[in-house]
Amino acid sequence: MKLQKNELLLIAAFVGIAMFVIFIALGVGEHWINPLNPSSDMEVLILWEIRLPRILTAFAVGGMLALAGAWFQVLLGNPLAEPYVLGVAGSAAVGAVSAMMLFPDSTLAMSMGAFIGAWVGIAAVLSFSFLGATRLLLAGVVLAAFWGAILMLLMALLPERSLMLAYAWMMGDLSSSSLPVWSLLLVWLLALMCGVFLSLSLDKLLLGERHAEALGVHVQRLRLILLFLASAVTAIAVTAAGTIGFVGLVVPHLMRLLFGSLHKAVLISSAFGGGILLIMADTTARTIISPAELPVGVLTAMIGVPIFLYLLLRRA
Amino acid sequence: MLDIQDLSLRRGNKILFESLSAQMQVGQVVVVLGPNGAGKSTLLLALQGMFPCANGEIQYQQKPVSTYSRQTLSRIFTWQGDLPPSEFGLTVGQRLALSADAKTRQSIEDALQYMDLGLLEQRALGELSSGERQRVEIAATMVRDNPIWLMDEPTAHLDMRHQVDCLRLIKQQSKDGRLIIAVLHDLQQAAGVADVVLLLDGLGGATVGDAASMLTAARLEPVFQVKLTGQGKDLRPVYGEN
Repeated sequence: MKLQKNELLLIAAFVGIAMFVIFIALGVGEHWINPLNPSSDMEVLILWEIRLPRILTAFAVGGMLALAGAWFQVLLGNPLAEPYVLGVAGSAAVGAVSAMMLFPDSTLAMSMGAFIGAWVGIAAVLSFSFLGATRLLLAGVVLAAFWGAILMLLMALLPERSLMLAYAWMMGDLSSSSLPVWSLLLVWLLALMCGVFLSLSLDKLLLGERHAEALGVHVQRLRLILLFLASAVTAIAVTAAGTIGFVGLVVPHLMRLLFGSLHKAVLISSAFGGGILLIMADTTARTIISPAELPVGVLTAMIGVPIFLYLLLRRA
Repeated sequence: MLDIQDLSLRRGNKILFESLSAQMQVGQVVVVLGPNGAGKSTLLLALQGMFPCANGEIQYQQKPVSTYSRQTLSRIFTWQGDLPPSEFGLTVGQRLALSADAKTRQSIEDALQYMDLGLLEQRALGELSSGERQRVEIAATMVRDNPIWLMDEPTAHLDMRHQVDCLRLIKQQSKDGRLIIAVLHDLQQAAGVADVVLLLDGLGGATVGDAASMLTAARLEPVFQVKLTGQGKDLRPVYGEN
């Protein structure tokens, strides 16, 4: 199978899988509803007004996180990098919790807080972008620890009722996104297009910054673009769904194991694969103990880890 | 064609060398010698505009290197430097294709064959030994059809046979019309290929001259602080008692 050589075939295959997964995810829930033949107006409402937006949000957020993860991994030259590694999630959480203190019971305020917080985090990271990969990573990790400390401080001051809400947000929650679905899908598409456009430069960056530069890549400029893109996409994903771990770390590696490391294939497959994984995780999270829900971050890890380890072992 | 005028390089506060002037032509092999930390690798970076000159200028065809675009420079200079990282699982074939900039399947085939890598094309870089990865880097230099090769210790990690292949390649390619500037540490290898020797003494001094006049005990002993014996192509350091 040489899907990685033919982008259109790769995209077609992933669109097929995504359609199938979306179809199943539409059907399952507290009650099974046949998406092709809903039996009442109520069921129509549940399908198209409740389940579909949530599924598409999961798809877009999962894809964005996987793309951002792939970008951060090549930008920092470190396979352990993930979207939250430079502290963007931490600063977003600080923003969300601050908003919670000022405007309790407003999910919109919380999203706004997360968004603003994420951009404060990005600004902090961007000011270190002139550093080399290792130092940038170090700066990001230290910044993340700083945001973590502030978060702990705020959490200690938070009333108990808000505390549960804050925890839920931090473990990822796709049920209450206040960003419209179409805007998330648009960002997903734009991010993927930027990624594919940059893919040859990104491939060269895999050889290290000096090799990339010697091969004609404007490394400083690429780093800045990449840092901005990856952070912006992360900020939007976090705003929509809180912090969902694991997708951004594991999906790009999963796709490298399946399709090799050239970025055109990695980015296309990550954008779809991350989305599909998150739909599966979220569908499981909302059905397995329904009507209650599990945090989706728990499920991403529980589904992603076995698949990843299996592929890793098979390769060895 | 490559003209170094009164060049000084500085890393941090340390002056690597000062006032280096040299003119290099197509068809020459220039060997850069000097102790560790003298600025040999940095010189290779500066030549292709990837390290700032503290003073002086480097010109390619009468125009300062700094005025060329990154893209253009990448079509003039080929750089063989550190082994690229292997964490992300690039294969040998993919790595060569990145240097070849597409459309040159034949040049990749030739390079694979010359560096004896035919059987390794589909293997990931991380699965290879350092010597094999070094051969991939030499092959990557070959697939990029540029007039100037900047080679940073091309024979490092290589076994004897591939060292010979590599040096033969350098000699042949310079005859075919390239300028090759190579950092080497082995005197025999230097003597075998060098037309011109550029000596950085590690104390700020830089000297250029034809190989015969540069590769002498009198010149090299004080710089490397070793005892040398023999002459010409047999010049070698003294180990132990004799």
